[in-house]
Amino acid sequence: MVYPAARLVQASLSQYSVTGLYQGWVGPRNYARLLQQEALATVVMNTVVWVAVIVAVTLLISLALAQLLDKRFPGRRLVRWALIVPWAASLIMTSKLFVWIYDYYFGILNPLLQSLGVLAHPVDWLGDDSTVMGAMITVGVFVSLPFTSYVLLAGLQTIPVDVYEAARVDGASAWRTYRSVTLPLLRPALLVAAVLNIIYVFNSFPIVWTLNDRNPGFGHDTMITYMYKIAFKSSLRDVGLAAALGVVNVALILVAVVVYLRTVRWQEPEA
Amino acid sequence: MRRLMPAVLLSLAIALLATACDRGPGAKGGGVASIKVVIADYSKDNTGPFWRSLSETYTKQTGVKVDLQVIDWNSIDQQVTTMIQNNQPPDVLNLNSFSSYAKDGLLHSAEDVLSAKTRDDFLAAFARGGEYQGKLYGFPILSSARAFFYNKSLFAKASIAAPPKTWDEFVKAAQRIKALGKDSIGYALPLGPEEAQAEWSIWMWNNGGDWKSGGQWAIDSEKNLQTLKFLADLANKHKVTQVNPGKTNRTDGAFQLFKDGKVGMVMGFSPLAKQLDAESKVDYGVTEMPTNTGAAVTLGVEDYLMAFKKKGNQEAVTKFLDLYYQPENITRWITAEGFLPVTRSGLDQMRSNPKLQPYLDALPNAKLVPTTDPAWDKVKLDVQQNIGLAVQPGGNPKQVLDQLQKNATAAGGR
Repeated sequence: MVYPAARLVQASLSQYSVTGLYQGWVGPRNYARLLQQEALATVVMNTVVWVAVIVAVTLLISLALAQLLDKRFPGRRLVRWALIVPWAASLIMTSKLFVWIYDYYFGILNPLLQSLGVLAHPVDWLGDDSTVMGAMITVGVFVSLPFTSYVLLAGLQTIPVDVYEAARVDGASAWRTYRSVTLPLLRPALLVAAVLNIIYVFNSFPIVWTLNDRNPGFGHDTMITYMYKIAFKSSLRDVGLAAALGVVNVALILVAVVVYLRTVRWQEPEA
Repeated sequence: MRRLMPAVLLSLAIALLATACDRGPGAKGGGVASIKVVIADYSKDNTGPFWRSLSETYTKQTGVKVDLQVIDWNSIDQQVTTMIQNNQPPDVLNLNSFSSYAKDGLLHSAEDVLSAKTRDDFLAAFARGGEYQGKLYGFPILSSARAFFYNKSLFAKASIAAPPKTWDEFVKAAQRIKALGKDSIGYALPLGPEEAQAEWSIWMWNNGGDWKSGGQWAIDSEKNLQTLKFLADLANKHKVTQVNPGKTNRTDGAFQLFKDGKVGMVMGFSPLAKQLDAESKVDYGVTEMPTNTGAAVTLGVEDYLMAFKKKGNQEAVTKFLDLYYQPENITRWITAEGFLPVTRSGLDQMRSNPKLQPYLDALPNAKLVPTTDPAWDKVKLDVQQNIGLAVQPGGNPKQVLDQLQKNATAAGGR
């Protein structure tokens, strides 16, 4: 754990040739060069959208899913198992599956939406600049749901039955009970789910890499795929510069998590 | 619990990979006990089995063990870079570039590790394609040549008598196929990041342009601008290509569409023919590239074997290369993979196969991309990442070429 971190910092302060050959110590120069990269602003914005939208949408849907799974209904066991599938499948396989679902010529999404009358013309989901991010985020939400739902479900099941009874005795409506009893008591689980998702989504590589591999440039990259492209797939071909971005990424995610935790604690109700 | 891995660990991917490759024993005394051989995976069915059996033969003959790693094309650059970064280079490496390694002084030259007989057997054009500063460092391992594929059924339906010879005929043919219906695509143009430099080279050369002129990069020449505008027009004015050609890759994009019978024309190569034959769904013909200058040019692609300088490995590496370059070995593998020869003896042997005729005929007129220039490794990636932007609606071919030229000139300086 310490060794790779030290290696990363060391690499970020060094210069390497295209082949990966060490060419000497350059101090903080790679960090300065990083800030001069034209694509950086776009990539940072993409990353913010990517993380914020996926985490928010995932939490919202997962709250509903967890509530549903907490209820007794016929086939609940089956639904609970089905929900695990996108989690258990390899991310690369899931991403490739979605590439085919989205495909302009072979995909099933376009014919489906056209037959439902939602679309008049087929859309190149992964090629059209206005739809790529949305298409990737959809997959991101899809694979984040199982874990998040289960964390929240576990949280729901720790809430004692008697608090609900008390609320009923007080004559609270279902919505009022949910807002005033369930949500506050679910807060620890929600926090855990949010923090882990922020970290996990930020670091997610396979989805963006696989769904975006046909697109030239850096227009739809997040900081993780950008790091990989700097090192191996762009004309920069620079391991040192990529390592500098790697260090920045680690620092950023730590800052983001701390800021998030601070913010939610400030909003903590006095109770 | 892979999803719970702390952020730090995940973000450290590069450094982690660095530690993951701690294999391969070092040099011992005068000789080595084992050599590390890294081969790119050309196909699941043939690459691994051939090199495993070659390695076994080698170990039997010499007593030197082989640490064989067959790595897929998507990650080979990354893995090799990591090996070198950690000062653990392979002894023998197969890749599509070599000159950066030669420039960094990492390689044995041919005189050190190849017998005179093997060196003399290389076809002259491919030997030249492996030279850095007048010495052979990138040993040709196999080659391929692009050819023009057309769908005979679609041509018949569109009443096109013969495959197009000129760019004008090409545009007309593409328009007639497009007119067959909304699912028909005249020409599948892959300018996405996977292999855009190959597609671009062919169009560029068939308009009389080139990568370089008089030793200097000439990517932004008038001719090249005309070519790129022509390609953008195919997409946006004539609308005879598939949707978003700047965002279509070759293997899972253009080839897939051609194999599905949707496409009239595509630039293919012998492995595509092999797949088409195996599926026997599309009735296709193979011919020369359409040209705008009167003389059809195709792209020849040469991949390389390199021998890394490591203490005491010269003899072991020499014997390994010598074994691969035995005519029966190299030809057996190239034939199995569906590629083309790089040696005179291989060419003589493979001439008897009528299926390879169009490609072997094209080989003498094939041009290579400038892999001999160490700047090429960066130029190639730059073209792959950017040229597609020029053929998108609203794209600016001049701006794209100017930027590529600027970056290529800068890359040469380092």
